[in-house]
Amino acid sequence: MKKRVDINQIKQFKPMRKAMNFQEAIIESNRCLLCEDAPCSQACPAGTDPGKFIRQIKFQNYKGAARTIRNNNIMGSSCAHICPTEKLCELGCSAKELNHTIDISGLQQFAINYGIENKLEPMIKSKENMGKIAVIGAGPAGLSCASELAKLDYDVTIYEKDSEAGGVLRWNIPNFRLPVEMIENDLKNIRDLGVKIKCNEDINTKEKANKLLKNNDAVFLATGLNKAFLLSELKDFNNSKSYIDFLRSIQESKKEIKAQIENKIVTIVGGGSVALDCAISAKALGAKRVYVISLEHLSELPAVLEEVELGHLMNIIFKPNTRITSVKSIDNNIIAVKGNEIDWKEENNFSPKNAIEIEDTEFTLKTDLVIQAIGTYPIIKEVFSELETFGKGCIVSKNSLTSHKKIFVAGDLVNGGATAVQAVGEGKKAAIAIDSFVKGGK
Amino acid sequence: MGKASLKVTFCGIEFENPFCLSSSPVGNHAEMCARAFDAGWGGIVYKTLNVDERFKVIMPSPRLNSYNYNGNKFVGLQNAEQISDRTLAENLKDIAELKKNYSTKVLISSIMGFNDDDWAILARESEKAGADMLELNFSCPQMARKDAGHRIGQNYEAVEHFTKIVKENCNLPIIAKMTPNITDMLPVALAAKRGGADAISAINTIRAITDIDIDSLTPMPMIHGKSGITGFSGPAAKPIGMRFVSELYNDKGLNLPISAIGGIETWRDALHFILLGGMNIQVTTAIMRYGYRIIEDMKEGLLDYMNDRDIETIEQICGKAAEKLVDPSEFDIRYQVVSVIDEEKCIGCGQCYISCQDAANQAIIFDLETRKATVDEKRCVGCTLCKHVCPVWDCITYRTVDTLITPHAGRL
Ligand SMILES: Cc1cc2nc3c(=O)[nH]c(=O)nc-3n(C[C@H](O)[C@H](O)[C@H](O)COP(=O)(O)OP(=O)(O)OC[C@H]3O[C@@H](n4cnc5c(N)ncnc54)[C@H](O)[C@@H]3O)c2cc1C
Ligand SMILES: Cc1cc2nc3c(=O)[nH]c(=O)nc-3n(C[C@H](O)[C@H](O)[C@H](O)COP(=O)(O)O)c2cc1C
Ligand code: SF4
Repeated sequence: MKKRVDINQIKQFKPMRKAMNFQEAIIESNRCLLCEDAPCSQACPAGTDPGKFIRQIKFQNYKGAARTIRNNNIMGSSCAHICPTEKLCELGCSAKELNHTIDISGLQQFAINYGIENKLEPMIKSKENMGKIAVIGAGPAGLSCASELAKLDYDVTIYEKDSEAGGVLRWNIPNFRLPVEMIENDLKNIRDLGVKIKCNEDINTKEKANKLLKNNDAVFLATGLNKAFLLSELKDFNNSKSYIDFLRSIQESKKEIKAQIENKIVTIVGGGSVALDCAISAKALGAKRVYVISLEHLSELPAVLEEVELGHLMNIIFKPNTRITSVKSIDNNIIAVKGNEIDWKEENNFSPKNAIEIEDTEFTLKTDLVIQAIGTYPIIKEVFSELETFGKGCIVSKNSLTSHKKIFVAGDLVNGGATAVQAVGEGKKAAIAIDSFVKGGK
Repeated sequence: MGKASLKVTFCGIEFENPFCLSSSPVGNHAEMCARAFDAGWGGIVYKTLNVDERFKVIMPSPRLNSYNYNGNKFVGLQNAEQISDRTLAENLKDIAELKKNYSTKVLISSIMGFNDDDWAILARESEKAGADMLELNFSCPQMARKDAGHRIGQNYEAVEHFTKIVKENCNLPIIAKMTPNITDMLPVALAAKRGGADAISAINTIRAITDIDIDSLTPMPMIHGKSGITGFSGPAAKPIGMRFVSELYNDKGLNLPISAIGGIETWRDALHFILLGGMNIQVTTAIMRYGYRIIEDMKEGLLDYMNDRDIETIEQICGKAAEKLVDPSEFDIRYQVVSVIDEEKCIGCGQCYISCQDAANQAIIFDLETRKATVDEKRCVGCTLCKHVCPVWDCITYRTVDTLITPHAGRL
């Protein structure tokens, strides 16, 4: 069973759960039934194989467990903290038929920590003799693909526009959910494999892109989603931000953002995990009141249940089945948002177009800051205009292939925004596609 | 990776790793054994062969009962199984096939006869089929006839005699498998040595009763209204296995390599037996419970242990802990300890207090206000009962008291 979350830790942006200790790991792993068909392993999009690493912990092969995780999922330290396990590996756990699900993320964290504390040997460096690959974007997809290629002895360089690698994991996910040391641990393994990560390299022009295409056997594109959608009613006010800017500002300067938020009223628009990350962070930074405005009802929120529960614990005020219609402002600053309650026209269709206003439910919320978390879209098509796109600008791809034979894609840029572990899985598959393309050409 | 190697040489035969199936249903026929080899086991002691033309084996049913404790199933296992119920011809064919397909793995033929002729036939036929070694089963505690199994194993002369017969009938290295159902195993092991055994394996199962059905008033496993005192194995049997292995190892007169058996599940269990003198490891019950796959963790875990400590071979550590065993009369009683409770880790349950009150020297103070336990060092006799009952594994430790030269015997 999962450990309880410690709110005081969240307030300090420190890991919200105590790590599993030895005794707990032994007891928890011994609850595992070691199922023949391991539903947990089948459910992991990256093939981390929890069935195996839990068995390894049970049989006291702790380093073996740490090896299994990093060999199968190069972002395994990060994933151990952020995977929505209740929807993935823990979903089909047979133990829940007896009492309760095995705490797989807790055991994964235990194995990773054991590996760090007991100085697991470095991963084997690439021989770099199979060809040269450029990877654009050092998020989970790019890092995973690069690592797999390095294991296959390619010479891989990642070009990352930011000052540090990690993508969304580094800049957006709050540290009470994902400690930076975990990303660092994954990056250490990736560097040990021989992957070169060049930061501050924005591939933002056709020229740069063409140069990479010319100098490499293949290019892997995993630039994710980079720009936030904003509601027209809330655009261009001084005190209205996208979640990207808000969450990033916490990573960059907690002091500064704390000063802006302490004792203030914050309104978050959106009902997904991202909105809840913003809401919980705002509360942790000392906001007086935090509202979460969502079209969906509480039971329909896309956020994982645990985060919603955490929201309740932190006294976040949910305004489900509502939408914002206008704002009150002074000098380009929002001072209140106005909205009303909504109903769905047809069931199980959560698009804004399906919402109808309920009469006489208007409300006004005094607010000092508005944060919007209603989705993101990619902007890379301006650089790679030769690639076919769809919807909000995602790249059309099948099995990580694109309309350009030398360009491969994966991650949020293709799936429109999913999970880190999904991006890792797609990155692994892309590496296999790239390998067979390069070998085919030789 | 480091330089450690799991290779061992046992009776002159090289094993890629010391982990073997012990003779039992886990190595019942060729298809099973092939999967075990594929999973990574270094060797197999095949299910005990019988001359089926002379003695027909029919297994009782049900033949198993698990020993459970506080909701944990399979802490131990009781079985009423006989030796192989397949024909000798089928088994020999399987052995030959396995040797052909797995030439680098070690295949040990376990045999049991009921007279000189049986033992001779089984030895010759096993050698002909290609077995690398023989294991003489002097130890099955539930044979369906009274002149066999552990009854032979309790009789020094019979053991020496049958070992000699086998020795005369083949050129294979011979392991004699001991029964723990005896006060002292050494005389039997020495008898086997006199008869020509090259190694000793121990232990076979311990005669036991695991449960009683309190409605029908019948012990388990209930075999048509009756039961028997039959062989017990698995984790709960390990302490007894360790005792016997260390005694064999520590005897200067015996000086034979030991294949260690008894409740082994993990690399750590195996290491314990190696440290007590085992150069070869055999496993049954853990495989019955978890399958052949446990070998992966045994190998990887033991290699990591060795590499982390710059140990290169198993030989280097074999018997290292057995050497520290002395007779209780030789304990240094000037060495005295008192328990220490880590206040931070104490969860305030008072288990230590209860045990110390009712079973030790009333040396724990339990503060009902703070719900914290502390040790009154003046009263503590250092038995460490509190440490062992504490539910927090690393909360209670002990330290030596150097001021105390005279032991605090009977102190109130
Ligand atoms: C707030 C938030 C919380 C989340 N929480 C979770 C969670 O708990 N669990 C979970 O599994 N998933 C979570 N996700 C989703 C997860 O983070 C993403 O699915 C995942 O990061 C996608 O990986 P990616 O590699 O495709 O893209 P990204 O992580 O976005 O990485 C893309 C990288 O490419 C770089 N880049 C972009 N353009 C260029 C360019 N032109 N040149 C060079 N580099 C470029 C970017 O700087 C970035 O580093 C969350 C997302 C958000 C926003
Ligand atoms: C079901 C069962 C059948 C066994 N059959 C044999 C056998 O045929 N021959 C033999 O020498 N030992 C036999 N044994 C004993 C085992 O080989 C082994 O010595 C014993 O079980 C202790 O090891 P363990 O705790 O790893 O099971 C049997 C054990 C079990 C549980
Ligand atoms: S384990 Fe297999 S053989 Fe034994 S009783 Fe069950 S089904 Fe029958």
